[in-house]
Amino acid sequence: MGLLDLLRKLRSSPDQELRILLLGLDNAGKTTILKSLASEDISHITPTQGFNIKSVQSQGFKLNVWDIGGQRKIRPYWKNYFENTDVLIYVIDSADKKRLGESGEELEELLEEEKLAGVPVLIFANKQDLINALPASEIADEMKLTQIKDRKWQIQPCSAISSKPEESGVPEGFQWMAKNIPKGKKGK
Amino acid sequence: MFSLMGKCISKSKSASSKRKVVIGVFGLDNAGKTVTSKALQGESLDGVAPTIGFQSNEFTLNKCEVTLYDLGGGKNIRDIWKNYYADCYGSIFVIDSSDSERIEEVHATLRDTLADRRITGKPVLILANKQDKVNALDEAELTEKLNLEQVVNENKCPCRVETCVAIKGTGKKLDKTIKTGVFWLLDNIKDNFATYDERVQEDLDVQKEENRKETAERKERLRKRREQREREE
Ligand SMILES: Nc1nc2c(ncn2[C@@H]2O[C@H](COP(=O)(O)OP(=O)(O)OP(=O)(O)O)[C@@H](O)[C@H]2O)c(=O)[nH]1
Ligand SMILES: Nc1nc2c(ncn2[C@@H]2O[C@H](COP(=O)(O)OP(=O)(O)OP(=O)(O)O)[C@@H](O)[C@H]2O)c(=O)[nH]1
Ligand SMILES: [Mg+2]
Ligand SMILES: [Mg+2]
Repeated sequence: MGLLDLLRKLRSSPDQELRILLLGLDNAGKTTILKSLASEDISHITPTQGFNIKSVQSQGFKLNVWDIGGQRKIRPYWKNYFENTDVLIYVIDSADKKRLGESGEELEELLEEEKLAGVPVLIFANKQDLINALPASEIADEMKLTQIKDRKWQIQPCSAISSKPEESGVPEGFQWMAKNIPKGKKGK
Repeated sequence: MFSLMGKCISKSKSASSKRKVVIGVFGLDNAGKTVTSKALQGESLDGVAPTIGFQSNEFTLNKCEVTLYDLGGGKNIRDIWKNYYADCYGSIFVIDSSDSERIEEVHATLRDTLADRRITGKPVLILANKQDKVNALDEAELTEKLNLEQVVNENKCPCRVETCVAIKGTGKKLDKTIKTGVFWLLDNIKDNFATYDERVQEDLDVQKEENRKETAERKERLRKRREQREREE
């Protein structure tokens, strides 16, 4: 099932526009996820220096996904994109155990941001195809997700480079997201 | 003197207003936890997906402001439950009564949950869900197969079993047995509120302290790693 089909299933008010922020450390796979969603080629992706944005439209429903570069020197600019975020998607490399602590710390800081207060968080536990990928509960513990009680969170294991994008885990994540959009947030 | 009186007043006030109660919803994946939580809250039951994380549902019932913690039950996420035990005044354990193949897993999971010191002695409502399925075990069969008497008695948990069909309806159309069960749970909590509340506050303090320590340790580890990296560069 493609993203468009998922979105068609939503009962959404007309002209609803959603802003989705895609963050995470460098090399996590953010851009790969974004491109695979749009069924674009994912074989020549380079580290994002600024940001990528993709919009998907369906039945008066518009989804704007902002993918921001995750390199250390770019992270200070993340805050320029917080405003009006409906859902935060945070991507991690599940096999990079060494940097899980660092990733958790960055997320912790994001969750303290006033502009992101109460915004649901979807964590893509990416690169599940690698043999040393950690399971969801270990990631949750290591990243201290279990201390979050002021908002919904969900971990979606996935493999963005999967040759069968519909089975990669990415659509399931977006399905969860679609169902957990805060109601009435974008009142007109 | 004034501050003392102020305290007294605010205390008696909070006693007469609605109780704030957190209830953990536990059970294996596919048991019907999310459906039950949404039905209680009065939300649509369409297209519920497996939970691999946390969400809370809030509603008022039986003069209580209830917050349900709906957690993922799958094997890969079940381990997070322990982080939420401290908050709970009581729990709901949901079972897919039609899945007799997993009864042993249900038994072990229930036993482990009730045996945790933060859950022991607090009330548990067991929902024998999916009674609409032809092969669903009934209350008696389930109680026996789960060795329920022993499990709850060992852990001194006041317990009640209700058979139900969580997908029957939401809000006003909620399966009556679920409502009956949750009323029982809340009555028990209200009757023992001071005791449970004290335990919750204490356990939360302990947890907060542990979290604080862990965060400090992690910050220190990260700082060292960063320093080392900078030296190498
Ligand atoms: N094995 C494996 N590799 C992946 C997966 N997803 C992405 N990658 C690879 O990981 C590398 C980084 O992917 P990107 O999408 O550029 O990562 P990013 O998060 O956008 O990184 P920045 O733009 O630097 O923040 C690429 O070489 C991808 O091919 C996956 O599921 N499995
Ligand atoms: N036949 C029947 N199906 C039910 C009933 N309650 C829930 N289900 C179905 O069982 C499936 C699982 O329900 P959920 O509420 O998602 O289960 P859960 O316990 O939250 O599962 P996890 O989130 O994976 O831990 C869904 O397809 C529900 O529609 C019921 O009373 N009868
Ligand atoms: Mg990128
Ligand atoms: Mg669930």
